[in-house]
Amino acid sequence: MSRMIMVGLMAVSMLSTAYGQAKPSSTKPGAKGTRAELDALVDRLGKTQPDWYKSTQVNYPTTLDLTWPMQAPQGGWNNQKNVGQFYWDVVNPNPGRWKEGVKLMHQLLTMHKDDPEKRERNMLALARMYHNLLEDYGRSAFWFRAAGVEKDPVEYASSAVILAECYWRLGFEAEARKLLEKVPSSVSHAKLLGDMGDTEAAIKMAMAEEDSQGYAFLAAGDACRHAGRYDEALKYYQKIIAIPVPAQNPPGRLVKNRGRAEANVAAIKSFELSDPAKVRDGTYKSSSQGYEAPVEVAVTVRSGKIESVKIVQHREKQFYSAMTDTPAKIISKQSVKGVDTTSNATITSEAIINATAKALAAAPK
Amino acid sequence: MRVDFFLPFLRKPKKGTEPAPPGRLARMARRILPSSWFADLQTGKPGLIRKTLKRIGPTWLSAPERRLVQSVCFIGYLVLFFYVCWPYSARPVPDVEGWPSHYTDELARKELVHAEFFLVIDPLVSLSTALASHSWVWSLSCAATILMVCIFIPRGFCGYLCPLGTLIDLFDWWIGSRFTRLRVGDDGWWVHIKYYLLLATGVAALCGVLISGFVAAIPVITRGLLLTLSPLQTGMERGWHQVPPFSAGHWISITLFGLVLGLGFLKPRFWCRYVCPSGAVFSLGNLFRVTERKVEQSCINCNKCVEICPFDAIKPDFTTRTTDCTLCQTCGGVCPTQAIKFVDRWDLVQLKTFNDPATHETALGRRGFLSAGIGLATGVAGGLGITSATTISGADLDNPNAWRPIRPPGSVPEQEFLQMCIRCGECFKACPNDVLQPLSFQQGLEGLWTPNVVANWAGCESSCNACTQVCPTGAIRAIPLAEKKVCRIGLAEINLQTCLPHAGREACQLCVDECHHAGYHAIEFTRVGTEVDAEGMPIEDSGFLAPVVLADKCVGCGLCQTRCYGINVADKHLLKESAVVIFAGDGKEDRLLTGSYQELRDDELKKRQSAKPVSPEMEDDGGYLPDFLK
Repeated sequence: MSRMIMVGLMAVSMLSTAYGQAKPSSTKPGAKGTRAELDALVDRLGKTQPDWYKSTQVNYPTTLDLTWPMQAPQGGWNNQKNVGQFYWDVVNPNPGRWKEGVKLMHQLLTMHKDDPEKRERNMLALARMYHNLLEDYGRSAFWFRAAGVEKDPVEYASSAVILAECYWRLGFEAEARKLLEKVPSSVSHAKLLGDMGDTEAAIKMAMAEEDSQGYAFLAAGDACRHAGRYDEALKYYQKIIAIPVPAQNPPGRLVKNRGRAEANVAAIKSFELSDPAKVRDGTYKSSSQGYEAPVEVAVTVRSGKIESVKIVQHREKQFYSAMTDTPAKIISKQSVKGVDTTSNATITSEAIINATAKALAAAPK
Repeated sequence: MRVDFFLPFLRKPKKGTEPAPPGRLARMARRILPSSWFADLQTGKPGLIRKTLKRIGPTWLSAPERRLVQSVCFIGYLVLFFYVCWPYSARPVPDVEGWPSHYTDELARKELVHAEFFLVIDPLVSLSTALASHSWVWSLSCAATILMVCIFIPRGFCGYLCPLGTLIDLFDWWIGSRFTRLRVGDDGWWVHIKYYLLLATGVAALCGVLISGFVAAIPVITRGLLLTLSPLQTGMERGWHQVPPFSAGHWISITLFGLVLGLGFLKPRFWCRYVCPSGAVFSLGNLFRVTERKVEQSCINCNKCVEICPFDAIKPDFTTRTTDCTLCQTCGGVCPTQAIKFVDRWDLVQLKTFNDPATHETALGRRGFLSAGIGLATGVAGGLGITSATTISGADLDNPNAWRPIRPPGSVPEQEFLQMCIRCGECFKACPNDVLQPLSFQQGLEGLWTPNVVANWAGCESSCNACTQVCPTGAIRAIPLAEKKVCRIGLAEINLQTCLPHAGREACQLCVDECHHAGYHAIEFTRVGTEVDAEGMPIEDSGFLAPVVLADKCVGCGLCQTRCYGINVADKHLLKESAVVIFAGDGKEDRLLTGSYQELRDDELKKRQSAKPVSPEMEDDGGYLPDFLK
């Protein structure tokens, strides 16, 4: 794939690490469904407008250059002129603008339908926006396929992993695995395997792709944690913490990954102490690193039971589903151990579990 | 027609005569209540009621109904001021659907009587406002009503209803009576000040300058309590850190209020008798009275009535100075021969002769003529002087660069606002967290004590429209919450040089969070300082998410400024000034005399939508699917 396409894609993938934080919810994507059913579903969804589409108004500055050239823009950064930079700076950071951004991308695609290069770029951008921003896996799959990702999963390796994830989330696990077999190894590939429950395969692939920023260890650790293999998970998380951080210009991603690893270590260690049955009545607060900033929770325990888990403070800009879903799961399980993280909101969900575990562990017994 | 409300002097009837039969009300009371409460008319022995009243004081004994009405009105005024206009009893409803409205609901729940009731029945408030703004002011109808009532009970407002009068009574009784060195005589140049003040405010109002609020009775007490007791209430109930700092304007108003009360050292109710221009309106209204105090032949010239009259309304011959009498009827209760009665003006039966003893009062002598002439001239000159003073030291509305205060939501255009705002301070009292605070001289003399949003102190609550509901003149239009929430009072502007993420200093999203939380969604993120690699690709996590104000959504509530100031300036000392500041001015605020703010917004939306070029080929399906995929 040409680098020029990448320039466009980068713009809409600012939140793309989000696709790495994947795990199914309690409603297991079933192994049901034939290829024909999958094709029919994706085709039907892709060709139908989402219910919000008609009522959403496109909203962009009149100065925007809608020709959106394939070449990297010259003359410096200008988010009021260059489409990719507009998406990066203005659309992505504002959840309120996501739907209008998707609609504009549809129109840009229609506008440039006769230019094969631009067409491909726009379809891939659309697919990623549907996946990363709107969690609309059917339409995401439709546009990945329209761009030809399924036909060439080697050329489009990173997109193909997301497409496989879409299949899995739509309930077609077998199709997802079939596709993944053709996709080259990568950390995000390993992460998806871990989420799908292929713990061994995930660890093996992650270790083969070891990187300097700790993504591989994080994928391996998460796969172990997901499988309840906490001792092994701790081992991988510790490896990230052991990566030396240069004092001068520390790489932001490594620092972020370390933060997550440390939070996970702290949470796993406090799992043993976080039995609500032994905790005295009261409300306890604690926080743990989320996607953007620490997520703070207040846990109320009454006669040995977790009565409520409330998110007191957070700065997450998406994945709001985790905010209600994860507390509900903790309360129904009456434990922080073995709680499934909310679909596609692993980091936020993990932060809530971690913070709850810490709060319970620190509470007077 | 008789309008007697006093308790007649009790005396033993002469032998052989029947005691005067009690009135119908008294007869009914005697039937229901135990007889020990009532006096024995045969022996002239007082009952329990009289004994109690006597213990309280002579004015209570002679005119208990009047004192009772005064008490009810005064307590009512205090309840309206300190309870109804105390917004902090409002509790947000958890998980509210749609727009929150707890402040609005709470005020509506408490307002059994309008919070501004006493302000609207002060006729000077609405009359001068209407005069100054050359327009109909809604409270004129209330002024008309009270003036009508006062045709039947001349100056009854001053004697019965006015809370300032009652407060002055209390002050005179409690403090003024202990310090009598400054007492002045009965007559002097000051006796007609109220007319000249009324004239001066009238002339100024005709010239479009509203200063009557500086001296009108109810605005004086409202502002006085606002700046003296209200901070105490806030401090004790909510903590002293919640009391906004005082400015020069505050101190001037407090001094004036102190002066008004302090006049009581010269003579009890000096203010009401000689100075109060609201009283002067009623005095003039008294010319049309249909009832008045009359003295019958049975008067024995005992002088008790002259001594007890709180308004100096009884001449030396015991007849009435009709423009001063407030029909308080205290004199009726002390008259041992029951020679005083309150009847219709044309009742001439058995009147005592005038000028006996001689009063030496003439209609208008040389001195009277002189003093009236000088007074009138001073009044006119004062009015014109104030007018020119405000022109020199005024709001400077023609200058687009002049400083503009941020007015409460629903305020009429600035010119009209200055002509309609009576400076009573009621909006400050009703405002949660003291967002509205009185101006000092930032806008010259013309803007003194008018409301201004001090966003560094607090922002305008999205669930509140209290200020619009309590304004007695309509300077702030009484708009419902749905209108208030879209009414722009200003526009937030972000200082790109100082705003932490814009300046590249650190991540900060206080204003964005605050705006979303309030429900306006008028500040969104933009990514600034994105770094690009050698190939022109943006580096993930480089730069900061920085705030941008959406001008079409911002109403200028100032919550963002409050937050930025509170955290970044006051708490963390990262900034010297809030990096997001609300500005008023043309195009940034909606100042309407009539009409809907919602319609303004709808029109804007239509314009924006029609201005947006939509490619015609995408009209059908919004460009959802390109042809080759259909």
